Amino acid sequence: MAKILIPTALRQFTEQSDSVDVTGATVREALDQLTVRYPNIKKNLFNDQGKLRSFVNVYVNDEDIRYLDKDGTKLTGSETISIVPSVAGGATAVADTAPALSNEEVARYSRHLILPEVGMEGQTKLKRASVVMIGAGGLGAPLGLYLAAAGVGRIGIVDFDVVDASNLQRQVIHGTSDIGRKKLDSAGDRMRDINPNIRVDKFDAGLTSENALEILRDYDIVVDGTDNFATRYLVNDACAILKKPNVYGSIFRFEGQASVLTYQDGPCYRCLYPEPPPPGLVPSCAEGGVLGILPGIIGVIQATEAAKIILGIGTPLKGRLLLYDALEMRFRELKLRRNPECPVCGDHPTITKLIDYQEFCGMPPMNAEPAPTGDAIDAIELKRKLDRGDNFVLIDVREPHEYQIARIPGARLIPLGELPKHLRELDLNGEYVMQCKSGARSQRAVDLLKQNGFKNVVNMTGGILAWSDKVDPSVPKY
Amino acid sequence: MIEIATEPWETMVRHAELTYPNECCGAMLGRLNGGSKLVKEAIPMENAYAGEQAARYELRPEDLLEADHQARARGLDLIGIFHSHPDCDAYFSTTDLKNSCPWYSFVVLSIQNGKFNHANSFLPDVDQTAAEREELKWPKF
Repeated sequence: MAKILIPTALRQFTEQSDSVDVTGATVREALDQLTVRYPNIKKNLFNDQGKLRSFVNVYVNDEDIRYLDKDGTKLTGSETISIVPSVAGGATAVADTAPALSNEEVARYSRHLILPEVGMEGQTKLKRASVVMIGAGGLGAPLGLYLAAAGVGRIGIVDFDVVDASNLQRQVIHGTSDIGRKKLDSAGDRMRDINPNIRVDKFDAGLTSENALEILRDYDIVVDGTDNFATRYLVNDACAILKKPNVYGSIFRFEGQASVLTYQDGPCYRCLYPEPPPPGLVPSCAEGGVLGILPGIIGVIQATEAAKIILGIGTPLKGRLLLYDALEMRFRELKLRRNPECPVCGDHPTITKLIDYQEFCGMPPMNAEPAPTGDAIDAIELKRKLDRGDNFVLIDVREPHEYQIARIPGARLIPLGELPKHLRELDLNGEYVMQCKSGARSQRAVDLLKQNGFKNVVNMTGGILAWSDKVDPSVPKY
Repeated sequence: MIEIATEPWETMVRHAELTYPNECCGAMLGRLNGGSKLVKEAIPMENAYAGEQAARYELRPEDLLEADHQARARGLDLIGIFHSHPDCDAYFSTTDLKNSCPWYSFVVLSIQNGKFNHANSFLPDVDQTAAEREELKWPKF
């Protein structure tokens, strides 16, 4: 005969007995016997559906039946059965505690509430959830709009940038009247206008190895909308260390990628790309251009994945890299596997804290000394040289379609990619000034010429943008 | 009404102040005497909550099982659970209610700047929808 020990508080239902002997082949049968003999105890142990209440744990001897066969756990007749409550709690801030939806919210979320996969339970999950977006730019724009509209209760934004005219072609969260405002403020206002029920946390900073863990720790999900490799590896490693899902997206010209990384046992960005590409190989959107509509699609895919993770529905984009080609209008999918040798998420990680990601990506540290200026001239100096009629050649190394937008009078166009085959046309002893949009590509052109024996070559710092700023404002900036 | 004797009360306050700024928790053993309860012993327990413990606590069922064994061995009953609210009033939060159990008195100690400030006791209902305030007496010095 097995013995059920009765907790003090329940003895009022068992005529003050502190233990009750039962027969029965399983725990369920033993408990049924108890409730048949003492019907009033039933409400304390089982809910209206006849299931054990959430706060009731049953132990057979010293083993929790959840780790045995649940209430089907077999009894031989000599066991002691204990009923033990599970107790927890805490002074959680009032704002974070189980929020009921107001009538206004019920009306607002009606089309969610009638979806059985969302319903009141799912909408409450969205309201309790927190998501942090890294960047309020191309990908951050659709993300912020849709996460706010969907009712994600707390949305963090990390961004240090200011709205520029060249952003408006794709960053639809900002408007023309926002030019010059902080993206944080512009995006925050727009999101709160769409849905005043949400909270927006603003982090007016770039994400760094020093602040990343502190900022990301506070959120359920991280959504990466960054445009550079250093921050992408930083977000990846921080999420791997914090064990948080990282909804990744990236865009380039007409193509995009998306995946859910460091989620459950899935792979991370380093499993896909262990090392960043050499600096300069993959141009940024500012250098390479991007179809304005492209981040709309990729950002909305990221928002969808974030919502699915919060709701716990569907199949997450985990272990899969989604590739999108806008020109062919085609989606492809690659399988990704977690690499057991991965330095951050592998079986024996060697990177357990954040590193210097500028250095990792082969870029000069942020506070490095500027390059020696002997091989460079600025826009004003170039203007003087032109006005004096100095004997030199100005070479514009941008692409022909950029040359059509704006040019410096007298510049000869040789796109950087074609420069090697034109070297023979240039005079080894001639004087050359290399120029591009902002000064980066032209520096690579200077290096190329010097490696090929040209002595008298200088870079024009700031490119045609500086020319427009300092010399001729009628030249449009793009 | 629940009354706490001097020795267990000092144990509870010390445990709460030492665990500050995190939440502490533990069990109270004593006797039922008609409608009133007398706490004769307090057992400090480890907060088993896996995340930030500044505003959350969790008791291990194994620890409660052990406390129940001890109570029986000494002719006492497990009659209550205590926990602290650091820099926060001694109210019964929604989190407390949703993770409670109707069989016990729940004593909450408010610890402000590391020092005991005030306390309340609550009796949650079986459906975890409401908790009734219970008169609490502790030794005043």
